[in-house]
Amino acid sequence: MRTKKPIALLMGLALLLAACGGDGATTTTAAAGETTTTAAGETTTTGATETTGAATGDLEGVEITVWGGSSGEAEDLALTGLLETFNEETGANAVFEAQSDMTTALNTALAGGDPPDVFYVDSNNLPDLAASGALASVPDGTLSEPDDIYPSLKEAFTFDGTWYCPPKDFSTLGLVYDPAALEAAGVAVPTTWEELATAAAALTTDTQAGLAMGVEYPRWAVFMFQAGADLTNADVSEITLDTPEAREALQFVADQYAAGSFVRPSDVDAGWAGEAFGQGKAAMTIEGNWIVGYLDTTFPDKTWAVAELPSGPAGQGTFAFTVCYGVAESAANPDASWALVEYLTNAQGALAWTSAFNVMPARASVADQWLAEHPELEAFVTGADYAHRWGFAPGFGDVISVFNDQANAIVDGDGTVDELIEETVAAGEDVIS
Amino acid sequence: MQPGVAPAPVEPIKVAGPADPKKRKLRFRGSDRARLDQKEPWIGWIFSAPAVLGLVVFLVIPIIAAVWVSFRDWNGLTSIFDSDPVGLANYRELLIDDGVRRTDFAISLRNNFYYVAGVVPAQTILAFVIAVVLNQKFLKGKGFFRTAYYFPSITSSIAVTLIFVFLFQTNGAINQVLPIQDIDWLDNPRGLIHNFLGVLGVEDGPAFLTDNEFMGLEYWDWLAGPSVAMVAFMMLVTWTTAGTLMLIFLAGLQNISPSVEEAAIVDGAGPVQRFFRITIPLMRPTIFFVVTLGLIGTWQVFDQIYAGSGGDPRKTTLTPAYLIYVQAFTNSKAGLAGAIAVILFVIIMFFTVVNRKVIRDTGDL
Repeated sequence: MRTKKPIALLMGLALLLAACGGDGATTTTAAAGETTTTAAGETTTTGATETTGAATGDLEGVEITVWGGSSGEAEDLALTGLLETFNEETGANAVFEAQSDMTTALNTALAGGDPPDVFYVDSNNLPDLAASGALASVPDGTLSEPDDIYPSLKEAFTFDGTWYCPPKDFSTLGLVYDPAALEAAGVAVPTTWEELATAAAALTTDTQAGLAMGVEYPRWAVFMFQAGADLTNADVSEITLDTPEAREALQFVADQYAAGSFVRPSDVDAGWAGEAFGQGKAAMTIEGNWIVGYLDTTFPDKTWAVAELPSGPAGQGTFAFTVCYGVAESAANPDASWALVEYLTNAQGALAWTSAFNVMPARASVADQWLAEHPELEAFVTGADYAHRWGFAPGFGDVISVFNDQANAIVDGDGTVDELIEETVAAGEDVIS
Repeated sequence: MQPGVAPAPVEPIKVAGPADPKKRKLRFRGSDRARLDQKEPWIGWIFSAPAVLGLVVFLVIPIIAAVWVSFRDWNGLTSIFDSDPVGLANYRELLIDDGVRRTDFAISLRNNFYYVAGVVPAQTILAFVIAVVLNQKFLKGKGFFRTAYYFPSITSSIAVTLIFVFLFQTNGAINQVLPIQDIDWLDNPRGLIHNFLGVLGVEDGPAFLTDNEFMGLEYWDWLAGPSVAMVAFMMLVTWTTAGTLMLIFLAGLQNISPSVEEAAIVDGAGPVQRFFRITIPLMRPTIFFVVTLGLIGTWQVFDQIYAGSGGDPRKTTLTPAYLIYVQAFTNSKAGLAGAIAVILFVIIMFFTVVNRKVIRDTGDL
């Protein structure tokens, strides 16, 4: 119940706002007057207090437009709520505009020369945006305790040595499993590749596969990390896929699909691995934090638990997926924009934001507080210690699509690991050069 | 007026009447015409300005911009004027340079070619047959059928696609109805021609097909045929578009005078003869129009791919139009996307001209 309180308050606040429409200045003022007490209550509950770090200056009446790809009403309302508290404290007028097709909307706005001040940037899009000069880099001293942010996440938003934006939250991949199914099959939660292979085979029946996993780079690559391989070197200047380690990892995954103990979601008529798992068509899956909310709402009766991914020959490895608040290079009021970003991503802001969801705060200092509220998701948090970033170089999407294409060919029985490596390396070198 | 006075003035008026008004009329008309001739051009422009402005802003400028962008290295994220000119580099990357972009483009061309080859004849024949049936004088409930067939055309293509995605699921309605074993419609990347050869026992192509390649794609892969997933989309689009084309055919059929048909009956022509010797030749302009519309539409297929598959499985539903979107918006390669658009335009132009020639030349039946 303790965890639900801030959410309820946030939602209440946001609902009030939403009810007032909030497009005209007058309505906004009226809404602010009505919600003073709620806002104050919310402030004390979540501990989000005055902004620290950069001198915010006088933000009275400054307009800040925030764009984000919407994951649903809950996220829209929560962010609107946080912005309203920010407006309360600073007198600024920050407004969130949820975009249904974020990439397209942002690209056209950028090309048109009129981007929003602050916007979501997926780590995978960062190279394209940073290389184009659309993003402002983080000014020194704007953000409080930047070293508190997980290094892998900070690195995800660093391009050519420049740090562009602070992560708003992050998710990692974990092994989500059905404890009842494991118990029925008499297997323990796998911690190594061998155990994973054995458990998946033992769990496979006529109606249930051992593990459902999408045939795509963001899933298969974790096995490469666990074998000590990677698609590129650290600064994405060289393709490093053609190694015995990568070959071993990919062959291990391919063998599991060939044996039938791993299954592609579409092969069991599911839209994605989470659905296959929820429907009981697979006893395990490798997914991230987003599966929690999905299972809670779509399959409320499903029992599940999450463990760290099994370790391979070279130890542990997973992916961290993260989104940051980027500030446009051409933002009308950069100071106010950075003040808002600081407000949203400092320790209190990060905790207030992530309390409402199953995503994790990007700051190590509040990880324990978050864990106290989400003890069952510990495996996702520990993954942050050894997570790899998701993002490469401008135009790298074509390479990932070649990898996915070839991986599907393997699962279809039309391709081999050698072909995958050959084609992907060729495509990668083509794009990098 | 007094009766005595009346005849006298009548005469001169009568005489002057025809001459005078004529003169005046002529003079008036002449001067007015001259004035109009002077003003006509820009008066015309004023009246058509709203439409012309719309066309220039939303059609002419974008077309010019697309061509211009295709010669530049533009990422689509900054101002278009900050991009660097790269000459023909984008075209080289798509057509000549060995690499992932050329292969992707080749795959999309292959997919779309089979798509066009399947959909255009199918939707044209289907629409024509429905139109001929609906044009029968004694058919009851014509209005109902017309509406029923036209209905898919006025429904949002995205909505239709999503419904079809459900229908084509492995445990979906299509497989339930078909009395054969379940087909994984939307996840099956196997080409139809490859499948057919597979049934005959040919799994791998002969060496001269697999060893040689064009635009980074083996001859054997060029000959794969549409994938099972693409066939599903072809059925979808045929079903959706046939209604619109049927309406065009119906309008054309109603323009054929019944007297021609009756004359043929008097001359002793049977129904089959009348169909092939009267209806089809007279419908040639309409057929040209419908096939041209079909060619343009099918070479630009986008909505169904965007909503239904995103190019999956294994790029077998990737089309040039969808590739434009991917390169411009998710891969930040707007210059490359512009080049694809220009090449696509050339392809459509080519097929339209060929189509025009073919339909004109086979004219003498």
